[in-house]
Amino acid sequence: MPHIWPIGGGKGGTGKSFFTGNIGILLARLGFKTLLIDADLGGPNLHTIVGLPNPAISLSDFLNKRVATLQETVLQMPIHNLFLISGAKNKLDIANLAHEQKTKTLRAISKLAYDYILLDLGTGTSFNTIDFFTLSDSGIFVCIPEPTSIENVYRLVRSVYVRKIRQVLKNERFRSLAEKAEARDEDAIIHHPEYLLDMLKEMDPEEGSNIERILKAFQFKLVLNQVRRQDNPKIGALICRIVEKHLGLKIQFLGNVSFDDRVHEAVCRRESFVEKYSYSQAALDLRLVLKGITGMIDQQVAAL
Amino acid sequence: MKKIDALTFYELLEIASDASPFEIHHAYKEMFQLYHEDSLASYSFFSREEREEILAKVNEAYSTLMDEKKRSQYDQYLIEQGVLEEEMQYQGDRKKLSLMPLAKRPGADTALRIRERLKMVVSSNAMIQEILAHDALSGSDLKKIRDELGVSLEEIAETVKVRMTYLRAIEEDQFEKAPSRIFLKGFVRAYAQYIGLDADMVASRYLKRMNN
Repeated sequence: MPHIWPIGGGKGGTGKSFFTGNIGILLARLGFKTLLIDADLGGPNLHTIVGLPNPAISLSDFLNKRVATLQETVLQMPIHNLFLISGAKNKLDIANLAHEQKTKTLRAISKLAYDYILLDLGTGTSFNTIDFFTLSDSGIFVCIPEPTSIENVYRLVRSVYVRKIRQVLKNERFRSLAEKAEARDEDAIIHHPEYLLDMLKEMDPEEGSNIERILKAFQFKLVLNQVRRQDNPKIGALICRIVEKHLGLKIQFLGNVSFDDRVHEAVCRRESFVEKYSYSQAALDLRLVLKGITGMIDQQVAAL
Repeated sequence: MKKIDALTFYELLEIASDASPFEIHHAYKEMFQLYHEDSLASYSFFSREEREEILAKVNEAYSTLMDEKKRSQYDQYLIEQGVLEEEMQYQGDRKKLSLMPLAKRPGADTALRIRERLKMVVSSNAMIQEILAHDALSGSDLKKIRDELGVSLEEIAETVKVRMTYLRAIEEDQFEKAPSRIFLKGFVRAYAQYIGLDADMVASRYLKRMNN
Protein backbone atom coordinates (compact mmCIF):
# COMPACT_ATOMS: atom_id res chain seq x y z
CA MET A 1 0.00 0.00 0.00
CA PRO A 2 1.38 3.41 -0.90
CA HIS A 3 1.47 6.25 1.61
CA ILE A 4 -1.09 8.71 0.31
CA TRP A 5 -0.76 12.32 1.41
CA PRO A 6 -3.53 14.64 0.31
CA ILE A 7 -2.28 18.23 0.49
CA GLY A 8 -4.71 21.12 0.69
CA GLY A 9 -5.27 24.41 2.36
CA GLY A 10 -8.54 25.95 1.33
CA LYS A 11 -7.14 29.17 0.01
CA GLY A 12 -5.17 29.79 -3.16
CA GLY A 13 -1.62 31.09 -3.05
CA THR A 14 -0.59 29.44 0.19
CA GLY A 15 1.97 27.32 -1.60
CA LYS A 16 0.26 23.93 -1.90
CA SER A 17 1.78 23.14 -5.28
CA PHE A 18 5.14 24.54 -4.20
CA PHE A 19 5.03 22.34 -1.11
CA THR A 20 3.84 19.23 -2.97
CA GLY A 21 6.42 19.58 -5.73
CA ASN A 22 9.37 20.20 -3.48
CA ILE A 23 8.51 17.59 -0.85
CA GLY A 24 8.07 15.18 -3.76
CA ILE A 25 11.55 15.96 -5.04
CA LEU A 26 13.05 15.42 -1.58
CA LEU A 27 11.27 12.06 -1.22
CA ALA A 28 12.50 10.97 -4.64
CA ARG A 29 16.03 12.00 -3.72
CA LEU A 30 15.79 9.79 -0.66
CA GLY A 31 15.13 6.88 -2.98
CA PHE A 32 11.38 6.56 -2.60
CA LYS A 33 9.31 5.98 -5.68
CA THR A 34 7.16 9.07 -5.52
CA LEU A 35 4.14 10.07 -7.56
CA LEU A 36 2.72 13.58 -7.62
CA ILE A 37 -0.89 13.93 -8.72
CA ASP A 38 -2.30 17.28 -9.65
CA ALA A 39 -5.80 16.93 -8.29
CA ASP A 40 -6.46 20.65 -8.47
CA LEU A 41 -8.88 19.94 -11.28
CA GLY A 42 -9.97 23.53 -11.74
CA GLY A 43 -6.55 25.15 -11.65
CA PRO A 44 -3.76 22.69 -12.30
CA ASN A 45 -0.18 23.92 -12.23
CA LEU A 46 1.90 21.36 -10.43
CA HIS A 47 3.59 20.52 -13.74
CA THR A 48 4.92 24.08 -13.92
CA ILE A 49 6.33 23.88 -10.38
CA VAL A 50 8.33 20.77 -11.17
CA GLY A 51 9.51 22.18 -14.48
CA LEU A 52 7.43 20.38 -17.09
CA PRO A 53 5.65 23.09 -19.11
CA ASN A 54 3.80 20.96 -21.67
CA PRO A 55 2.82 17.55 -20.37
CA ALA A 56 1.75 15.23 -23.18
CA ILE A 57 -0.86 13.35 -21.21
CA SER A 58 -2.92 14.18 -18.15
CA LEU A 59 -5.54 13.04 -15.67
CA SER A 60 -8.32 14.04 -18.06
CA ASP A 61 -7.18 11.40 -20.53
CA PHE A 62 -8.10 8.84 -17.89
CA LEU A 63 -11.36 10.55 -16.99
CA ASN A 64 -12.38 10.74 -20.65
CA LYS A 65 -11.39 7.12 -21.19
CA ARG A 66 -8.79 7.95 -23.83
CA VAL A 67 -6.51 5.65 -21.85
CA ALA A 68 -7.65 2.55 -20.02
CA THR A 69 -5.71 2.80 -16.78
CA LEU A 70 -4.55 5.62 -14.55
CA GLN A 71 -1.01 4.23 -14.71
CA GLU A 72 -0.88 5.17 -18.40
CA THR A 73 -1.15 8.85 -17.55
CA VAL A 74 1.98 8.76 -15.38
CA LEU A 75 4.84 10.88 -16.68
CA GLN A 76 8.47 10.14 -15.85
CA MET A 77 10.22 13.23 -14.50
CA PRO A 78 13.87 14.11 -15.17
CA ILE A 79 14.54 13.40 -11.48
CA HIS A 80 15.06 9.73 -10.76
CA ASN A 81 12.17 8.11 -8.86
CA LEU A 82 9.85 11.07 -9.42
CA PHE A 83 6.63 10.70 -11.38
CA LEU A 84 3.74 13.00 -12.20
CA ILE A 85 0.13 12.77 -13.20
CA SER A 86 -0.51 16.18 -14.59
CA GLY A 87 -3.77 18.06 -14.48
CA ALA A 88 -2.89 20.24 -17.44
CA LYS A 89 -5.21 20.31 -20.44
CA ASN A 90 -8.14 19.26 -18.34
CA LYS A 91 -11.41 20.28 -19.87
CA LEU A 92 -12.52 23.57 -18.42
CA ASP A 93 -15.65 22.17 -16.81
CA ILE A 94 -13.82 19.34 -15.12
CA ALA A 95 -13.68 20.90 -11.66
CA ASN A 96 -17.02 19.27 -10.96
CA LEU A 97 -16.46 15.59 -11.43
CA ALA A 98 -19.42 13.31 -11.72
CA HIS A 99 -19.76 10.97 -8.79
CA GLU A 100 -18.94 7.94 -10.87
CA GLN A 101 -15.75 9.47 -12.30
CA LYS A 102 -14.72 10.46 -8.83
CA THR A 103 -15.07 7.03 -7.28
CA LYS A 104 -13.30 5.51 -10.24
CA THR A 105 -10.39 7.92 -9.83
CA LEU A 106 -10.17 7.48 -6.07
CA ARG A 107 -10.16 3.71 -6.42
CA ALA A 108 -7.51 3.82 -9.15
CA ILE A 109 -5.24 6.07 -7.07
CA SER A 110 -5.19 3.77 -4.08
CA LYS A 111 -4.19 0.86 -6.32
CA LEU A 112 -1.13 2.52 -7.86
CA ALA A 113 2.22 0.97 -6.94
CA TYR A 114 4.36 3.75 -5.48
CA ASP A 115 5.99 4.38 -2.11
CA TYR A 116 4.46 7.82 -1.77
CA ILE A 117 1.58 9.46 -3.56
CA LEU A 118 1.17 13.19 -3.02
CA LEU A 119 -2.13 14.74 -4.04
CA ASP A 120 -2.09 18.44 -4.75
CA LEU A 121 -5.67 19.49 -4.07
CA GLY A 122 -7.67 22.44 -5.22
CA THR A 123 -8.84 25.42 -3.26
CA GLY A 124 -12.15 25.71 -1.50
CA THR A 125 -14.19 23.06 0.19
CA SER A 126 -15.94 21.51 -2.80
CA PHE A 127 -16.93 17.88 -2.58
CA ASN A 128 -14.09 16.91 -4.87
CA THR A 129 -11.43 18.30 -2.59
CA ILE A 130 -12.98 16.79 0.52
CA ASP A 131 -13.35 13.37 -1.05
CA PHE A 132 -9.70 13.32 -2.00
CA PHE A 133 -8.90 14.22 1.59
CA THR A 134 -10.80 11.32 3.09
CA LEU A 135 -8.83 8.95 0.85
CA SER A 136 -6.11 8.79 3.46
CA ASP A 137 -5.80 9.03 7.21
CA SER A 138 -3.13 11.70 7.05
CA GLY A 139 -3.98 14.87 5.21
CA ILE A 140 -1.58 17.80 5.20
CA PHE A 141 -2.84 21.36 5.38
CA VAL A 142 -0.70 24.18 4.07
CA CYS A 143 -1.53 27.50 5.65
CA ILE A 144 0.07 30.94 5.78
CA PRO A 145 0.00 33.24 8.82
CA GLU A 146 -2.79 35.48 7.56
CA PRO A 147 -6.38 35.63 8.79
CA THR A 148 -7.80 34.77 5.35
CA SER A 149 -5.77 31.59 5.10
CA ILE A 150 -6.38 30.55 8.70
CA GLU A 151 -10.11 31.09 8.22
CA ASN A 152 -10.12 28.80 5.20
CA VAL A 153 -8.02 26.14 6.87
CA TYR A 154 -10.42 25.97 9.79
CA ARG A 155 -13.29 25.68 7.37
CA LEU A 156 -11.58 22.91 5.45
CA VAL A 157 -10.58 21.03 8.60
CA ARG A 158 -14.16 21.09 9.82
CA SER A 159 -15.58 20.07 6.45
CA VAL A 160 -13.24 17.13 6.05
CA TYR A 161 -13.83 15.98 9.60
CA VAL A 162 -17.60 16.23 9.30
CA ARG A 163 -17.44 14.26 6.04
CA LYS A 164 -15.35 11.60 7.73
CA ILE A 165 -17.77 11.36 10.64
CA ARG A 166 -20.68 11.00 8.22
CA GLN A 167 -18.82 8.27 6.34
CA VAL A 168 -18.23 6.35 9.55
CA LEU A 169 -21.79 6.79 10.78
CA LYS A 170 -23.18 5.65 7.44
CA ASN A 171 -21.76 2.24 8.21
CA GLU A 172 -24.62 -0.20 8.68
CA ARG A 173 -23.44 -1.05 12.16
CA PHE A 174 -23.62 2.47 13.48
CA ARG A 175 -26.66 3.69 11.60
CA SER A 176 -29.31 3.30 14.26
CA LEU A 177 -27.08 4.89 16.87
CA ALA A 178 -26.35 7.78 14.53
CA GLU A 179 -30.05 8.33 13.91
CA LYS A 180 -30.75 8.40 17.62
CA ALA A 181 -27.99 10.94 18.11
CA GLU A 182 -29.26 13.09 15.31
CA ALA A 183 -32.73 13.06 16.78
CA ARG A 184 -31.36 14.28 20.06
CA ASP A 185 -29.23 17.10 18.69
CA GLU A 186 -29.51 17.60 14.98
CA ASP A 187 -26.56 19.85 14.43
CA ALA A 188 -24.10 18.11 16.70
CA ILE A 189 -22.28 16.53 13.76
CA ILE A 190 -21.69 19.81 12.04
CA HIS A 191 -21.12 22.18 14.91
CA HIS A 192 -19.82 20.13 17.77
CA PRO A 193 -18.17 16.92 16.65
CA GLU A 194 -16.40 16.65 20.02
CA TYR A 195 -19.72 16.66 21.90
CA LEU A 196 -21.15 14.24 19.40
CA LEU A 197 -18.60 11.64 20.43
CA ASP A 198 -19.43 12.15 24.10
CA MET A 199 -23.10 11.82 23.28
CA LEU A 200 -22.57 8.62 21.31
CA LYS A 201 -20.48 7.13 24.07
CA GLU A 202 -23.12 7.99 26.61
CA MET A 203 -25.88 6.37 24.54
CA ASP A 204 -23.90 3.27 23.68
CA PRO A 205 -20.54 3.03 25.46
CA GLU A 206 -19.24 0.15 23.38
CA GLU A 207 -20.13 1.31 19.88
CA GLY A 208 -19.39 4.90 20.87
CA SER A 209 -15.83 3.95 21.74
CA ASN A 210 -15.54 2.02 18.49
CA ILE A 211 -16.51 5.11 16.54
CA GLU A 212 -14.10 7.17 18.58
CA ARG A 213 -11.29 4.75 17.79
CA ILE A 214 -11.93 4.93 14.06
CA LEU A 215 -12.01 8.71 14.14
CA LYS A 216 -8.90 8.94 16.29
CA ALA A 217 -6.95 7.16 13.55
CA PHE A 218 -7.77 10.11 11.37
CA GLN A 219 -4.94 12.56 11.87
CA PHE A 220 -4.15 15.81 10.21
CA LYS A 221 -0.90 17.62 9.77
CA LEU A 222 -0.32 21.32 9.45
CA VAL A 223 2.47 23.26 7.80
CA LEU A 224 2.79 27.00 8.10
CA ASN A 225 4.25 28.38 4.90
CA GLN A 226 5.68 31.79 4.03
CA VAL A 227 6.52 32.63 7.61
CA ARG A 228 8.23 36.01 7.74
CA ARG A 229 10.60 37.14 10.44
CA GLN A 230 8.05 39.45 12.04
CA ASP A 231 5.39 36.71 12.28
CA ASN A 232 4.69 34.93 15.54
CA PRO A 233 6.46 31.58 15.08
CA LYS A 234 4.05 29.89 17.49
CA ILE A 235 0.91 30.49 15.43
CA GLY A 236 0.98 27.01 13.89
CA ALA A 237 1.21 25.28 17.25
CA LEU A 238 -1.62 27.45 18.57
CA ILE A 239 -3.85 26.56 15.63
CA CYS A 240 -3.28 22.87 16.33
CA ARG A 241 -4.14 23.42 19.95
CA ILE A 242 -7.44 25.05 19.06
CA VAL A 243 -8.35 22.21 16.71
CA GLU A 244 -7.46 19.49 19.21
CA LYS A 245 -9.20 21.22 22.07
CA HIS A 246 -12.39 22.27 20.37
CA LEU A 247 -12.90 19.69 17.64
CA GLY A 248 -11.36 16.79 19.52
CA LEU A 249 -9.35 16.01 16.41
CA LYS A 250 -5.66 15.10 16.36
CA ILE A 251 -3.54 17.47 14.32
CA GLN A 252 0.24 17.55 14.29
CA PHE A 253 2.18 20.74 13.63
CA LEU A 254 5.01 19.99 11.23
CA GLY A 255 6.75 23.33 11.39
CA ASN A 256 7.25 26.69 9.75
CA VAL A 257 8.63 27.15 6.25
CA SER A 258 10.34 30.53 5.94
CA PHE A 259 9.22 33.08 3.42
CA ASP A 260 11.77 33.32 0.64
CA ASP A 261 11.75 35.65 -2.34
CA ARG A 262 13.70 33.10 -4.32
CA VAL A 263 10.64 30.85 -4.39
CA HIS A 264 9.07 33.41 -6.68
CA GLU A 265 12.22 33.47 -8.75
CA ALA A 266 12.39 29.68 -9.02
CA VAL A 267 8.73 29.44 -10.07
CA CYS A 268 9.21 32.16 -12.69
CA ARG A 269 12.21 30.36 -14.12
CA ARG A 270 10.32 27.07 -13.86
CA GLU A 271 13.08 25.53 -11.82
CA SER A 272 12.57 23.45 -8.71
CA PHE A 273 13.33 25.40 -5.57
CA VAL A 274 14.89 22.73 -3.32
CA GLU A 275 17.34 21.82 -6.05
CA LYS A 276 18.34 25.30 -7.06
CA TYR A 277 18.51 26.77 -3.54
CA SER A 278 19.09 23.68 -1.47
CA TYR A 279 20.83 25.54 1.35
CA SER A 280 18.32 28.36 1.75
CA GLN A 281 16.38 28.55 5.00
CA ALA A 282 13.14 27.58 3.26
CA ALA A 283 14.73 24.45 1.79
CA LEU A 284 16.15 23.48 5.19
CA ASP A 285 12.71 24.03 6.69
CA LEU A 286 11.15 21.75 4.08
CA ARG A 287 13.59 18.99 4.99
CA LEU A 288 12.72 19.36 8.65
CA VAL A 289 9.03 19.17 7.81
CA LEU A 290 9.60 16.02 5.80
CA LYS A 291 11.49 14.57 8.72
CA GLY A 292 8.52 15.33 10.92
CA ILE A 293 6.15 13.50 8.59
CA THR A 294 8.17 10.40 8.01
CA GLY A 295 9.99 10.25 11.33
CA MET A 296 13.11 9.71 9.32
CA ILE A 297 16.47 9.51 11.01
CA ASP A 298 18.85 12.48 10.82
CA GLN A 299 21.46 10.91 8.64
CA GLN A 300 19.15 10.26 5.74
CA VAL A 301 17.95 13.84 5.65
CA ALA A 302 21.46 15.18 6.07
CA ALA A 303 22.51 13.10 3.08
CA LEU A 304 20.09 14.91 0.79
CA MET B 1 -13.52 17.20 25.74
CA LYS B 2 -16.32 18.45 27.95
CA LYS B 3 -18.26 21.57 27.22
CA ILE B 4 -16.58 24.70 28.54
CA ASP B 5 -19.10 25.06 31.39
CA ALA B 6 -18.39 21.57 32.62
CA LEU B 7 -14.65 22.17 33.03
CA THR B 8 -13.10 23.02 36.37
CA PHE B 9 -10.91 26.12 36.44
CA TYR B 10 -7.89 23.85 36.51
CA GLU B 11 -9.01 21.88 33.48
CA LEU B 12 -9.89 25.08 31.67
CA LEU B 13 -6.41 26.55 32.16
CA GLU B 14 -4.85 23.11 31.54
CA ILE B 15 -2.94 23.07 34.81
CA ALA B 16 -2.59 20.65 37.72
CA SER B 17 -4.72 21.23 40.78
CA ASP B 18 -1.60 22.01 42.82
CA ALA B 19 -0.21 24.53 40.32
CA SER B 20 1.69 27.48 41.80
CA PRO B 21 0.59 31.10 41.17
CA PHE B 22 3.50 31.38 38.76
CA GLU B 23 2.20 28.44 36.71
CA ILE B 24 -1.32 29.82 36.80
CA HIS B 25 -0.17 33.16 35.52
CA HIS B 26 1.77 31.53 32.73
CA ALA B 27 -1.17 29.33 31.72
CA TYR B 28 -3.48 32.33 31.74
CA LYS B 29 -1.19 34.23 29.40
CA GLU B 30 -1.21 31.31 27.00
CA MET B 31 -4.99 31.01 27.09
CA PHE B 32 -5.31 34.71 26.48
CA GLN B 33 -3.09 34.37 23.43
CA LEU B 34 -5.41 31.67 22.12
CA TYR B 35 -8.74 33.32 22.77
CA HIS B 36 -8.46 37.08 22.79
CA GLU B 37 -10.45 38.98 20.24
CA ASP B 38 -7.57 39.74 17.87
CA SER B 39 -5.90 36.36 18.19
CA LEU B 40 -4.68 35.33 14.76
CA ALA B 41 -4.44 31.68 15.76
CA SER B 42 -8.15 31.31 16.49
CA TYR B 43 -9.33 33.75 13.85
CA SER B 44 -12.85 32.85 12.65
CA PHE B 45 -12.92 29.64 14.69
CA PHE B 46 -15.41 30.92 17.25
CA SER B 47 -18.47 33.06 16.97
CA ARG B 48 -18.31 36.30 18.91
CA GLU B 49 -20.56 34.85 21.63
CA GLU B 50 -18.47 31.71 21.98
CA ARG B 51 -15.30 33.73 22.26
CA GLU B 52 -16.77 36.04 24.89
CA GLU B 53 -18.06 33.11 26.87
CA ILE B 54 -14.69 31.36 26.87
CA LEU B 55 -12.79 34.54 27.74
CA ALA B 56 -15.13 35.37 30.60
CA LYS B 57 -14.67 31.91 32.01
CA VAL B 58 -10.87 32.09 31.62
CA ASN B 59 -10.82 35.46 33.40
CA GLU B 60 -12.97 34.13 36.20
CA ALA B 61 -10.68 31.13 36.59
CA TYR B 62 -7.63 33.36 36.72
CA SER B 63 -8.99 35.82 39.28
CA THR B 64 -10.26 33.02 41.49
CA LEU B 65 -7.11 30.92 41.46
CA MET B 66 -4.75 33.86 41.94
CA ASP B 67 -6.54 34.91 45.11
CA GLU B 68 -5.44 32.67 47.96
CA LYS B 69 -8.69 32.91 49.86
CA LYS B 70 -10.97 32.48 46.86
CA ARG B 71 -8.85 29.58 45.67
CA SER B 72 -9.14 27.65 48.90
CA GLN B 73 -12.92 28.24 48.91
CA TYR B 74 -13.11 27.00 45.34
CA ASP B 75 -10.98 23.96 46.18
CA GLN B 76 -13.26 23.24 49.12
CA TYR B 77 -16.22 23.33 46.75
CA LEU B 78 -14.49 20.94 44.34
CA ILE B 79 -13.67 18.58 47.22
CA GLU B 80 -17.32 18.56 48.29
CA GLN B 81 -18.32 17.81 44.69
CA GLY B 82 -15.90 14.92 44.75
CA VAL B 83 -13.83 16.13 41.79
CA LEU B 84 -10.74 17.09 43.80
CA GLU B 85 -8.86 15.13 46.42
CA GLU B 86 -7.62 16.99 49.44
CA GLU B 87 -3.99 16.01 49.03
CA MET B 88 -4.01 17.30 45.45
CA GLN B 89 -4.50 20.89 46.64
CA TYR B 90 -1.87 23.57 46.33
CA GLN B 91 0.21 23.50 49.50
CA GLY B 92 1.75 26.95 49.11
CA ASP B 93 5.25 27.33 50.50
CA ARG B 94 4.76 24.21 52.55
CA LYS B 95 5.26 22.15 49.44
CA LYS B 96 8.58 20.41 49.80
CA LEU B 97 11.18 20.93 47.17
CA SER B 98 12.60 17.70 45.95
CA LEU B 99 15.87 17.28 44.15
CA MET B 100 15.36 16.15 40.64
CA PRO B 101 16.99 12.83 39.91
CA LEU B 102 19.84 13.07 37.43
CA ALA B 103 18.05 11.50 34.50
CA LYS B 104 15.05 13.85 34.89
CA ARG B 105 17.07 17.06 34.64
CA PRO B 106 16.32 19.01 31.49
CA GLY B 107 18.89 18.15 28.87
CA ALA B 108 20.01 14.96 30.55
CA ASP B 109 17.52 12.99 28.53
CA THR B 110 18.89 14.16 25.19
CA ALA B 111 22.51 13.56 26.24
CA LEU B 112 21.53 10.01 27.20
CA ARG B 113 19.80 9.44 23.93
CA ILE B 114 22.74 10.82 21.94
CA ARG B 115 25.07 8.50 23.84
CA GLU B 116 22.89 5.47 23.15
CA ARG B 117 22.80 6.28 19.47
CA LEU B 118 26.57 6.84 19.27
CA LYS B 119 27.20 3.61 21.14
CA MET B 120 25.40 1.72 18.42
CA VAL B 121 27.45 3.40 15.71
CA VAL B 122 30.67 2.69 17.63
CA SER B 123 29.91 -0.99 17.92
CA SER B 124 29.12 -1.39 14.23
CA ASN B 125 31.77 0.88 12.69
CA ALA B 126 34.79 -1.06 11.41
CA MET B 127 37.20 1.87 11.47
CA ILE B 128 36.39 2.75 15.09
CA GLN B 129 36.64 -0.87 16.16
CA GLU B 130 40.02 -1.06 14.47
CA ILE B 131 41.27 1.96 16.47
CA LEU B 132 39.85 0.57 19.70
CA ALA B 133 41.65 -2.72 19.14
CA HIS B 134 44.96 -1.04 19.97
CA ASP B 135 46.36 -1.26 23.43
CA ALA B 136 47.10 2.47 23.66
CA LEU B 137 45.05 5.44 22.48
CA SER B 138 46.46 8.78 21.34
CA GLY B 139 44.71 12.13 21.09
CA SER B 140 44.60 11.83 17.32
CA ASP B 141 42.94 8.39 17.67
CA LEU B 142 40.21 10.00 19.72
CA LYS B 143 39.84 12.77 17.17
CA LYS B 144 39.50 10.23 14.36
CA ILE B 145 36.72 8.46 16.25
CA ARG B 146 34.98 11.74 17.02
CA ASP B 147 35.19 12.87 13.38
CA GLU B 148 33.87 9.53 12.22
CA LEU B 149 30.89 9.97 14.56
CA GLY B 150 30.32 13.51 13.34
CA VAL B 151 30.38 15.03 16.83
CA SER B 152 31.81 18.53 17.25
CA LEU B 153 34.11 19.57 20.07
CA GLU B 154 31.77 22.47 20.84
CA GLU B 155 28.95 20.01 21.40
CA ILE B 156 31.04 17.99 23.88
CA ALA B 157 32.26 21.12 25.67
CA GLU B 158 28.70 22.41 25.95
CA THR B 159 27.29 19.23 27.40
CA VAL B 160 30.03 17.89 29.66
CA LYS B 161 31.09 21.39 30.77
CA VAL B 162 34.78 21.03 30.00
CA ARG B 163 36.51 23.95 28.31
CA MET B 164 37.36 23.72 24.62
CA THR B 165 41.05 24.42 25.35
CA TYR B 166 41.29 21.26 27.42
CA LEU B 167 39.39 19.14 24.94
CA ARG B 168 41.63 20.35 22.16
CA ALA B 169 44.69 19.69 24.31
CA ILE B 170 43.52 16.10 24.79
CA GLU B 171 43.26 15.57 21.05
CA GLU B 172 46.66 17.19 20.44
CA ASP B 173 48.36 15.26 23.23
CA GLN B 174 49.40 18.51 24.95
CA PHE B 175 49.23 17.02 28.43
CA GLU B 176 50.91 20.01 30.09
CA LYS B 177 47.85 22.18 29.37
CA ALA B 178 45.62 20.26 31.77
CA PRO B 179 45.60 21.57 35.35
CA SER B 180 46.70 18.18 36.71
CA ARG B 181 46.84 14.53 35.89
CA ILE B 182 43.67 13.86 37.86
CA PHE B 183 41.81 16.55 35.92
CA LEU B 184 43.15 15.23 32.64
CA LYS B 185 41.84 11.78 33.47
CA GLY B 186 38.44 13.24 34.34
CA PHE B 187 38.28 15.20 31.10
CA VAL B 188 39.22 12.19 28.98
CA ARG B 189 36.55 10.15 30.74
CA ALA B 190 33.87 12.78 30.15
CA TYR B 191 34.91 13.12 26.50
CA ALA B 192 34.88 9.36 25.94
CA GLN B 193 31.59 8.84 27.69
CA TYR B 194 29.87 11.52 25.66
CA ILE B 195 30.84 9.94 22.35
CA GLY B 196 29.61 6.54 23.48
CA LEU B 197 32.93 4.90 24.39
CA ASP B 198 33.80 2.95 27.53
CA ALA B 199 35.10 5.81 29.69
CA ASP B 200 37.34 3.75 32.03
CA MET B 201 38.90 1.77 29.25
CA VAL B 202 39.66 4.86 27.12
CA ALA B 203 41.06 6.86 30.05
CA SER B 204 43.40 4.07 31.15
CA ARG B 205 44.71 3.45 27.63
CA TYR B 206 45.14 7.16 27.00
CA LEU B 207 47.08 7.69 30.23
CA LYS B 208 49.11 4.57 29.62
CA ARG B 209 50.34 5.97 26.33
CA MET B 210 51.01 9.33 27.94
CA ASN B 211 53.21 7.68 30.55
CA ASN B 212 55.28 6.03 27.91
